[in-house]
Amino acid sequence: MSKILIAEDEVLMLKALEFKLKKDGYQVDVAADGRQAMEKVKSNTYDLILTDIMMPFVGGMEILSYIKNDPIKKSTPVLLISAVGLENVVLEGFHLGADDFIYKPFNLNELSVRIKRYIKQNVF
Amino acid sequence: MNFFQTIFNYIRETYTDRLFYFPSNIRISLLIILFCVIAVLELYLYISFRRAQQIKKKRDEAKWKEYIDNMLANLVIFDESDSTEEIVDHFYPKMSKLPLRNPIVNQVLTAEILTYHKNFTGKIQEVLSILYRRLNLDKQSKKKINNKNWEVKIEGIREANEMRIKEMAGEIIKYTDDENGLLRMEAQAAYIKLSEQYPFRFLDRAQERILDWHQVVLFEIITKNKQLVIPSFSHWLRSPNDTVVMLCLKLIDHFMQFDASQEVQRLLKHHNPKVVKKSVEIIGKLELADAEKHMFEVYFDQPEEIKLEILNSLGKISSGNYNEFLSSRIYSSDPKIKKEALYAIKRNPAYGEAKLREIYKQTTLENQALIKHVLDHRIKQ
Repeated sequence: MSKILIAEDEVLMLKALEFKLKKDGYQVDVAADGRQAMEKVKSNTYDLILTDIMMPFVGGMEILSYIKNDPIKKSTPVLLISAVGLENVVLEGFHLGADDFIYKPFNLNELSVRIKRYIKQNVF
Repeated sequence: MNFFQTIFNYIRETYTDRLFYFPSNIRISLLIILFCVIAVLELYLYISFRRAQQIKKKRDEAKWKEYIDNMLANLVIFDESDSTEEIVDHFYPKMSKLPLRNPIVNQVLTAEILTYHKNFTGKIQEVLSILYRRLNLDKQSKKKINNKNWEVKIEGIREANEMRIKEMAGEIIKYTDDENGLLRMEAQAAYIKLSEQYPFRFLDRAQERILDWHQVVLFEIITKNKQLVIPSFSHWLRSPNDTVVMLCLKLIDHFMQFDASQEVQRLLKHHNPKVVKKSVEIIGKLELADAEKHMFEVYFDQPEEIKLEILNSLGKISSGNYNEFLSSRIYSSDPKIKKEALYAIKRNPAYGEAKLREIYKQTTLENQALIKHVLDHRIKQ
């Protein structure tokens, strides 16, 4: 069973994403802020990480940067969630190695399909 | 224990048996002290009561939030293939059992539905919109809009806007020209999104200023809303409100509304220099050759900033009718004007550079240096 980490500070969003991905058959780990997410990233291995960009303590970009600079974890797909569609933020994310960007508001089913694709790519 | 008993008895006796034996100034002081002590005690009681109330409120909020969050999170277990009605029918009975008369529950449920609605698209949004109405939360929003307090009004407008309650447009329009800037801005932004037939009607009655940064917000809403039927903004170019004129000019510019050309040309004689400058900019962008003569007519009465814009626009139009005028500008005492005029001449793809070389031969050393600069392709304007 593929393991996914969701890092999102909005409790309602976190819960919805958790429910959805569990329903899709994934093993889900959650972090309600950036610090928690960073700790989990450091101590666990995930098949995919879904993280909000703006979070308390540690931002999504820092988490992304840590993962992509770690020789073991760098192949983990990282999907960034953001309400900010600014060109420079997107560019910065892609420069740091983000695999995809999800803009709020988004369709949960579309997210589900994207996650499936990234996990499949990573497995084979 | 005896010590406290003695003190208590002493105070009691002071205020009962002995009070009338004291001189009047001491008596007054004692009464003031008594009053202060009672007031402080009451204040402590009041603060403690309020704190207890707030703690209870927070606890209740957290309890209901968790309950409602879990209930709403179940929305994601449905597939896109399930019918909207089916999902609504599943959730409505549970939600209608919530004690919605309790303001905490009402507030939490409204906030959570709004968060979901804001962050997710697709069927979830549709389901939430229907549930919002069925639970009569839209009526709460309407009540808020008609509340006396402007902050509550804004809250109601935001709710109606987020949940797309179109019938609220009629309620909201009355605040689009409110004295309170924040309420006005919120109402204008919501009205554009909610009014189905006349989303720009608020511009007809706008007497209050539309602040520059709010113009940016409205511009974003208007230009990014694909469902909006865009009218001819020339309709509002005669508005006595300069900020309405400015907003409309920006929109005419964005939507390239050629039908507004006559009205835009008329604005070259407007009293507000900002309006004149924007009009000149549009004339250049739309390449309105008819407007060249009008720009020429007003040129000499304008401040430097607008003169530069006129030269720029003449360059963009490049009809050739005003080449002599542009050439004569290089004898201006203002180097910015000289440079802009030279760039305007250069803009003509057919003969611009040839004309500059011709001028080069007949002009002063200073102008020659400037022409060299303008002709240098490595230097951008």
